[in-house]
Amino acid sequence: MNLNVYFSFVMNNKAGGKAIRASWITMLIIGFSILTSQSAQAIPAYARQTGQNCLACHAGGQFPELTPYGRLFKLTAYTLGSRTIPISAIGVVSLSKSLHPDSDPAFVKDSNLIFQTGSVFLGGKISDNVGIFAQATYNNYSGDSGYQGVWGSDNFDMRYADRYISPSNDIIFGASLNNNPSVTDVWNSAPAWIIYAPTQFGVTRPDASPVVDNLGAQVAGVNVYAMWNNLLYAELGGYKTANGVFSFLSQGTSNINQTKLSGINPYVRVALTHEWGAHNIMVGMFGLNAHIFPDNTVQSGPTIQYRDRGVDAQYQYLLDPHTVSAQFSYVRETINNGAITGIASNASNTLNALRIKGTYIYQAKYGTSVSYFNTTGTSDPTLYSSANASPDTRGWTPEIFYTPLQNIRIGLQYYAYQKFDGASTNYDGNGRNAKDNNTAFLYVWGAY
Amino acid sequence: MNRFTVKVLSFSAILAISACSSPERSRDLNDASIPVKATALQVCSNCHGGNGVSISPNFPNLAAQTQPYIAKQLTAFRSHARSDPEGYEYMWGLSSHLTDAQINGLASYYSQLPPPAGSQDNSGKLKTDKEGQRIFEEGIPASGVPACTACHGAHAEGNDQFPRLAGQHAGYLVKQLKVFQLTDQRPDGVAMKAVTHNLTPENMLSVAAYLEAMSSTAK
Repeated sequence: MNLNVYFSFVMNNKAGGKAIRASWITMLIIGFSILTSQSAQAIPAYARQTGQNCLACHAGGQFPELTPYGRLFKLTAYTLGSRTIPISAIGVVSLSKSLHPDSDPAFVKDSNLIFQTGSVFLGGKISDNVGIFAQATYNNYSGDSGYQGVWGSDNFDMRYADRYISPSNDIIFGASLNNNPSVTDVWNSAPAWIIYAPTQFGVTRPDASPVVDNLGAQVAGVNVYAMWNNLLYAELGGYKTANGVFSFLSQGTSNINQTKLSGINPYVRVALTHEWGAHNIMVGMFGLNAHIFPDNTVQSGPTIQYRDRGVDAQYQYLLDPHTVSAQFSYVRETINNGAITGIASNASNTLNALRIKGTYIYQAKYGTSVSYFNTTGTSDPTLYSSANASPDTRGWTPEIFYTPLQNIRIGLQYYAYQKFDGASTNYDGNGRNAKDNNTAFLYVWGAY
Repeated sequence: MNRFTVKVLSFSAILAISACSSPERSRDLNDASIPVKATALQVCSNCHGGNGVSISPNFPNLAAQTQPYIAKQLTAFRSHARSDPEGYEYMWGLSSHLTDAQINGLASYYSQLPPPAGSQDNSGKLKTDKEGQRIFEEGIPASGVPACTACHGAHAEGNDQFPRLAGQHAGYLVKQLKVFQLTDQRPDGVAMKAVTHNLTPENMLSVAAYLEAMSSTAK
């Protein structure tokens, strides 16, 4: 069964059983295997397809940040090169250690070396115009108990693209089926890509974050986009709950944990980009309106209205042996409760998330980065159960990493909190200070 | 979702996946029937620019480069004979399925494009480097460095397998001079190993700056 037959099979099986949808990964693998007869090598799929080193597409070899070339590879639907077996795997072994762990479930694996997640990727060219980036992740610490190994959908982006280019004009346009607003983006300042902390243990993020950060593997979106002369990028998408025929995009997320959107929710993205010498820069903005049912199990009645507005920018300097990059992202979210009562004291709230990150990598081997994050928002004693009724959280994340081979990375991040849930000291009313959440995170990341 | 929407989506997906793109816009590197112009614009342009003039000094300008030189380099990438880091990282894979006819066609395509404007460096300043000009025209007799003009032409326009240097990115030229001087990663350039033996880093920067700024229309 080749892929298009399989796809139509799923699409037409509205009543298809869970087993059918759950086996989509297997079926895709079979489909791809039949589509190609070339042998696999022990390098990730895109590198195998193009024959190129990871450095060609990833800035300084630093996954997932893309080089200008990598951005074009993605915008042209992962189709450059020769079709091959499009399967890769990634595993993360990690250890997190927090300054003062307490009884919170986030700390149950404190100081334990764990195999947290493994991912299988299907990535590559399907036809001259269609390609895929699909990630299925096995999380060893998932399920309702938090201790079950669960396979689930992770990032998914299947796209069609065409390109009309002459020596003087260049336009790329395409469409994507995906499961996370901004996963389609080619800049690392996008919400889906800016933070790389593959763990749920320790404290590696603020308690509150904009809804655009939290819809991965729960929604289904169809986006159309165009890039004109490597200067202007525009994208428009609509997102709905990934259920029914789209439930393969939310596999592994239980119904009760899956955010339910009402209708089609618009996403828009615009960016200006410029390249000169070894430098390139992007300045952009995005917007997402999401109407979300307050109860994940009841898809009717009034909704909470989220409006996320973001501005972001990225700078890169790429000239061997140096890689310099910087990202800026500011998202302002307004949450309007409309007719819904009981979930917040205020009729509407705002939440602002600022992230700034700078990275330097030498010889694509030795890297360091530092991030600053500052989340602020209106106080609301019902929405935020902490003592200060505030989401305000601020801190720094320095990181060092080493890439001895192009597909192995060893990194150490340190999350240092200056403020947590509204206060630096005694933020929970029981004497706990923000810095008690400081967390060191050591990881070994391998890709094959 | 109603049945009609499902059908429309199914049909669209099948159509998209099954779609045969035009060979004029294909990025397939495993199909020798794709016109070389399509490959140049859809694939090579990603780094080397739509008109054969690259933006980043990581990648050489190809416009107006000599046909035999481009063909020889692509062949060397394909056979892995040329193994400098950028060549290995980018070009081994891209060249692996190219046929001799495609290599010759791509080389001809780029050799016929207008040469790079070649007067601005990355900071936008006009480069005039007297020391670089002297090295280019006279060599460094005391160190046994011959004049570049001897092989690359009086205006650095290149000659057969000796590449055009006029208007090339200084960063790329310096990197290649170091590859010749310090490594054996470009065995086809063995002649350059002796030429570069006594060049200092300052000499390299000077001559590269002069060449990058060189009038591109001079032949």
